Amino acid sequence: MKYIVASLLTALVLPRAAWAIDQTKVDAVVAELDERQRNSGDYKALAYIEQKERGKNDLVYQTVFYRRDDDDKLMILFLKPKSEAGKGYLRLDKNMFMYDPTVGKWERRTERERIMGTDSRRQDFDESRLAEEFDAKFVAEEKLGKFDVYHLELKAKKGVDVAYPVLHVWVDQNTGNMLKQQDFALSGRLMRTTYYPKWKKIFSESKGDEVYFPEQIRIFDEVEKGNKTTIVITEVDLKPLSTNIFTKAWLESKSR
Amino acid sequence: MGSLFSIAVRNLVRARLRTTFLGLALALVTTLLMLLLALSQGVTDTMIRSATTLSSGHVNVAGWFKSKSSDASPLVLDAPKVRKIVEENTPGLDFVVDRGRGWGRVISDTTSLNSGLTGVDIADEPRLVETLQLAPKGDYVEGGGDAIEGDIAGLARPDSALVFAAQAKRLEVAVGDVVTVTVETMSGARNTAEFTIVAVAKDIGMMSNWSVFVSKAGIQKLYALDDDVTGAIQIHLDDHTRANEVMGHLQNVFAEQGYEVMEHDPQAFFMKFETVAGEDWTGQKLDLTTWSDEISFMTWVLSAINSVSFLLMLILSTIIAVGITNSMMMNVRERTTEIGTLRAIGMSRSKVMLMFLFEAIVLGVVSTLIGGLLGMGIAAALDAADVSIPAEAVRAILMTDTLHLVVTPNQLLAAVIAFSTIAAGAAFLPAFRAARLQPVKAIQHAS
Repeated sequence: MKYIVASLLTALVLPRAAWAIDQTKVDAVVAELDERQRNSGDYKALAYIEQKERGKNDLVYQTVFYRRDDDDKLMILFLKPKSEAGKGYLRLDKNMFMYDPTVGKWERRTERERIMGTDSRRQDFDESRLAEEFDAKFVAEEKLGKFDVYHLELKAKKGVDVAYPVLHVWVDQNTGNMLKQQDFALSGRLMRTTYYPKWKKIFSESKGDEVYFPEQIRIFDEVEKGNKTTIVITEVDLKPLSTNIFTKAWLESKSR
Repeated sequence: MGSLFSIAVRNLVRARLRTTFLGLALALVTTLLMLLLALSQGVTDTMIRSATTLSSGHVNVAGWFKSKSSDASPLVLDAPKVRKIVEENTPGLDFVVDRGRGWGRVISDTTSLNSGLTGVDIADEPRLVETLQLAPKGDYVEGGGDAIEGDIAGLARPDSALVFAAQAKRLEVAVGDVVTVTVETMSGARNTAEFTIVAVAKDIGMMSNWSVFVSKAGIQKLYALDDDVTGAIQIHLDDHTRANEVMGHLQNVFAEQGYEVMEHDPQAFFMKFETVAGEDWTGQKLDLTTWSDEISFMTWVLSAINSVSFLLMLILSTIIAVGITNSMMMNVRERTTEIGTLRAIGMSRSKVMLMFLFEAIVLGVVSTLIGGLLGMGIAAALDAADVSIPAEAVRAILMTDTLHLVVTPNQLLAAVIAFSTIAAGAAFLPAFRAARLQPVKAIQHAS
């Protein structure tokens, strides 16, 4: 009896962080986040990006994006509104290009580019590479709403090209899904908070396993309060894509 | 020759009405030309002042640093050494300043705007302190009145910023308020810093809409730069018209000293990011520009004013030339008998021709001189009166709140020479015809 009471008292007195998971487990959680979203084959999905900014009209873009994770290739093609149709981004190796059909020109952009000036970035559409780009550290076990989560801090590895050098992520202990992410600037200021309220999975024949994707991504600007971006991802298709999709010529042909 | 001149003047006096109308037309066109030239010169002067206050020296030694071939950072490494070379090798040097350059989002409690960021060491910038005028609070706060708040010297504080009145109005901020600035650092990571507004300056045309001054220390910290790294070394010359020559000289000096110097690209530095990022090299290259390169996106205003002026002058000159030709034709016809008599008593063809040409030249010189002086007077009076430009769009395009006209003696000289030449040219055909008349036929003309 004494032992049970002592255990209960210890559990109540010790802070939650005292249940720290070891570094191996932390690394495994982060690796799992990447692995669950990784598809060894091709990936195609329809996405809607809604941007709300203070004092401006809301913007909604309809895009289709294509990925070939093995080759680090990504293409985002804008379908709507009409004024933006045909514009697109193409990532080849470590180079990001943007095409504007109204001037018929390709421009080299950085990998941190804000997609069409919204709060969304290339990373929001691309393969998750957290383990490759960041070193993770355990912060605490917490409750996020009704979910038990691991709160981890991720710091960018030296020489890695990322927009935010420090991330905090909250990972559902039961499902392994990321539920929340906060991005911090070099100065330590919180820049944006992202929520992933819905995750879906689809079976990938090339991977031979389920591939998870966030059906909704809600990004809140923490500096310009009131600005937010919502990304809705639908119609995920993991069938092999044509080999010539990830070329400038293909994107140009879609713009005509 | 003196007698020919005398005849020409007497004929002009005799045909008083015709001379008055033609002279008046020439004088008015010259007045208009003088006003257009004064406006063009005024806009040029304002552009130079705006550019050299806000974003450029007469010549700039800037540069690009690429740690990866896809990068493009507008930086000059080892700036003290580069500055020393500039100070030792610039002919006609007035002074040199060293400024940080950046681009970021300035965010207030209510709204935000994108702007260029210029990092200044205010102790090193006496000309900037002299040139910038603080705006009365009423310019950016409703009901703010004429009180002037803040102090440019406050830019000595590391977390300080100076914005322009239109920006303060848009951001809904005043002196003492804090704004957040977010930028992408040279390594690609986002960074932020808080800046306190220490002064609000009067607008300097369109360019001040996207120019914010911050302390040099502030911009270095924001971009996580070492102390010996800067954005551009801006050179101010005794004579700005030598900017191209000095730039060429410095390009050679730096090349001789082993620096890699980029080929001259006459564009503002912020328009070169894509081009430089697309080039396949790494390391440091210097990029030399002049003040006009840094505002190349604005020189269309000057080109537009000059093109419209040229077109207007072309039309008016054609009308005047036709008028002079017609008038001289009538003159020759009326004086055919006189021409015959003069030829009969021995006056040569060339002298007859000169007699008529003199008439046109005297008319041209006197009329354009009167018109030019009138134009100079009106331009000087308008400039002195500080006439406000009512339309905001026009203010933005002309880069000034008040009408700024600059007159120079060279403009008057150019106008007099141009219109006197046109007058002489227009009189050439009638004068040539007069000279070709046969004396006998000319004498018989009256009967």
